[in-house]
Amino acid sequence: MEEWIGARWDRWVTQAARRDHPHAAVELKDIEKTLGVFFRALGGDAGLRVVAAADCAHGARRRLLQRIAGIGMRTAHAALDREILRLPPRLAVLPTPDLNRDLYLWLAALAARTDPERSRSPQHWIAVNQQATLRALQTHPGLLARYRRLVLALLNERIAPDRLPEDEAAQERAIRQALLVPGSVAALPAPKRGKVRTVQPVPLWLMPAPIAPDAAARAPTPNEREGAPSQEQQAPNKRYQAERVEMPSHDSPMILPFRAESLLSWAEFVKVNRATDDDPNPDAGRAAISLDRLMLAGDDDTGQQAASKVRLDLDLPPAAEDDLALGPGILLPEWDWRRQRLKPDYCRVQPMAARQAEPCPLPERLRRSAQRLKSQFAALAPARRWLKGQPDGIEPDIDACVRIAADRRAGRSLAGTSAYLDRRPADRDLACLVLADLSLSTDAHANDEQRVIDVIRDSLMLFGDALTATGDRFAFYGFSSLRRSFVRFHEIKPFDRPFDAMTRGRIAALKPGYYTRLGAAVRRTVQLLEPQPSPRRLLLVLSDGKPHDTDLYEGRYGIEDTRHALAEARNAGIKPFFVTIDREAAAYLPHMCGPNGFVIMRKPEELLTRLPQLYAQLTDR
Amino acid sequence: MSELPFYQASGDEIDLFEHAHRNRLPVLIKGPTGAGKTRFVAYMAAKLGLPLHTVACHDDLTAADLVGRHLIGDGETYWSDGPLTRAVREGGICYLDEVVEARKDTTVVIHPLADHRRTLPIDRNGEVLQAPDDFMLVVSYNPGYQNFLKGMKPSTRQRFLALRFDFPDAAREESILVGETRCDAFVAKRLVDLGRSLRALKDVDLEEVASTRLLIYAALLIRDGMDPVVACRAALIEALTDDREVAAALEEVVLATFGK
Repeated sequence: MEEWIGARWDRWVTQAARRDHPHAAVELKDIEKTLGVFFRALGGDAGLRVVAAADCAHGARRRLLQRIAGIGMRTAHAALDREILRLPPRLAVLPTPDLNRDLYLWLAALAARTDPERSRSPQHWIAVNQQATLRALQTHPGLLARYRRLVLALLNERIAPDRLPEDEAAQERAIRQALLVPGSVAALPAPKRGKVRTVQPVPLWLMPAPIAPDAAARAPTPNEREGAPSQEQQAPNKRYQAERVEMPSHDSPMILPFRAESLLSWAEFVKVNRATDDDPNPDAGRAAISLDRLMLAGDDDTGQQAASKVRLDLDLPPAAEDDLALGPGILLPEWDWRRQRLKPDYCRVQPMAARQAEPCPLPERLRRSAQRLKSQFAALAPARRWLKGQPDGIEPDIDACVRIAADRRAGRSLAGTSAYLDRRPADRDLACLVLADLSLSTDAHANDEQRVIDVIRDSLMLFGDALTATGDRFAFYGFSSLRRSFVRFHEIKPFDRPFDAMTRGRIAALKPGYYTRLGAAVRRTVQLLEPQPSPRRLLLVLSDGKPHDTDLYEGRYGIEDTRHALAEARNAGIKPFFVTIDREAAAYLPHMCGPNGFVIMRKPEELLTRLPQLYAQLTDR
Repeated sequence: MSELPFYQASGDEIDLFEHAHRNRLPVLIKGPTGAGKTRFVAYMAAKLGLPLHTVACHDDLTAADLVGRHLIGDGETYWSDGPLTRAVREGGICYLDEVVEARKDTTVVIHPLADHRRTLPIDRNGEVLQAPDDFMLVVSYNPGYQNFLKGMKPSTRQRFLALRFDFPDAAREESILVGETRCDAFVAKRLVDLGRSLRALKDVDLEEVASTRLLIYAALLIRDGMDPVVACRAALIEALTDDREVAAALEEVVLATFGK
């Protein structure tokens, strides 16, 4: 009974205290694509990704009911740094869906006009936001009416200054002034000494972004493995405010260098010896959700790093067990977007083949689909077409006849005699290379029975069979990577080998492992496709996530490198096309692959049916 | 000669064209669609007082289409000049638009015309025409659609003086809009801002960008009293993309420029 009443009370008071408008909520994921295009069109950096921001405590005053209900402490802020534009996953602060949608668009416009470096400074955020507002309104005056509507609606939602203590009221007045007349407030009035309360969040502005984890500045940590999503990774995929902290070092092992009573919250960073603690903490995910800041420290050079090194070495199978390396590695460049130049001979791509691949027939469960696909693809293959002006053929070429007759009458007796139409199989001269991502993340489950890698294997088997039916030249390769010196490039079916039981055996022997250094793999496929004599060359990349490796190859660096590699492919006359099952991919694929250069599958199983369809569309003129 | 068509120079292209004409050199103009290549040639033809023979090249255009052919008449045949032959006989500018689209065999007739020989051999009736001094060959192509099959061969390229056209800068584009459509200067500024916003999306969300020509279309509609947002939807958004979400975003950009 007590519990029942408690639950009822909680529901009632939460309802009553809510200040947002759930019926008017707009979800980020519904307008993400529109926002991205809008942001870029207004001058935003095309390399930025739009992601959902995590909730964090704002520390501002709440209304009485909210305090009673214990809600309203946390909110998701919009923020901008050099790589990411964070936007709240859901907006319901304003009373109508139109206003909330306008608020999203306004935030994108504001971000497009904000310098990410300056917006990071917490002292100037009020000035920076006003300047950005002015700039946005100046370059896109059509925003003015919308901005006015938003400000008026927002002021209605905020706690009025006359209901606040004096110093907070002054701050609130300054913010209202800055919203109504942007550019008129230089700085916030200081709060009373010793006061920790901050101002009420301003959903119309970008909040100072936390220090971005700087990918380049960070020492690579070998045991940050790309793993199959385990429990803790199923937490909502939001961006946390993270900062890199120095690993505290202490030399005297007997003394705890902190006071035990300060060990009260998850937010404290403490170096604890957990060398024997192998199981991931099941509560870590929940703890992470409730944290505002994640602090990440690199390993120091004490014993712990040795431990992780050993683990890494165990990870790599001994040479005798590992796949067969074919020849020496191939050195390839890599694009560094910060310096805007190619680093020559930076990656080593190692061609490999499965060591113990047994010839393998088509698995029984795929027989049916294979039959169906084969007949579909046979229809694709060499359509016959009419050739004009042939010396011999099955029908007269009227055009040519008329021309020859006219030439003859005009006295040109030497006029040609090729006056027939002939039907011949059109040379569907096409070379297609499929590059499959074999990184460890493909070990994740796609559905109850299959892992992503199983789906990739099945699609390759089916696809190979179907391609054989078209007569197109094709090749299959797979890749994974372990830093720049070891990009594993698996040879499955080169162009000059038939697709047979042996090839299927190689497909069956594919194992997931390691990371995704996409740029190097794409560059290698360009080298393989370039000598192909076919005038049309297609590179299909099957991927399940962003470019990623354990060194600085992550985030924007990896995306820019891949983008550059894809541009190189296009310059070489190759059409690259991305097929991905990464649901987050909409944020970075347009920048990486360009328009019409990619497709996102919602479920991995779709690969089986959509891949052949796609191929037909891509290769059909 | 009728009055000069409207053309606003972006650099020294008018000067260069006149020099080329005086020295009997052929010219290659490259640039994106709607940047003013065709208008420039029309303007120069009018300025130099030369007749203009324009051929829009397509992928089925053969040498015979350029040079000419025998036609069957009433009980006899007669020779009909193609546009290129006519231009060589009469003098004037022969403008081959999108020349890379034409079939390969057209290079056979272009090459001898484009170098010092300035001749057009007509193999069907054995004639070899010598181009008069006021004949000028101008070709254009759009490097944007760079089709690796149809790239221009170096042996062809190196017979031409080359000019690159690009979209004009903001101030010049505004004055082009005003000059071309007599629209409001304020509308022109907004449209140019909009065009520049959309050009930022090239290769990320859009394959082709808003050309000056499309901006002119929009300006014409607006000057005619159409609502700017509706005009931009018809002239710009739907012309640039088929993707509904991208179109929705572009519409927001239009609203952000013109207001709601």
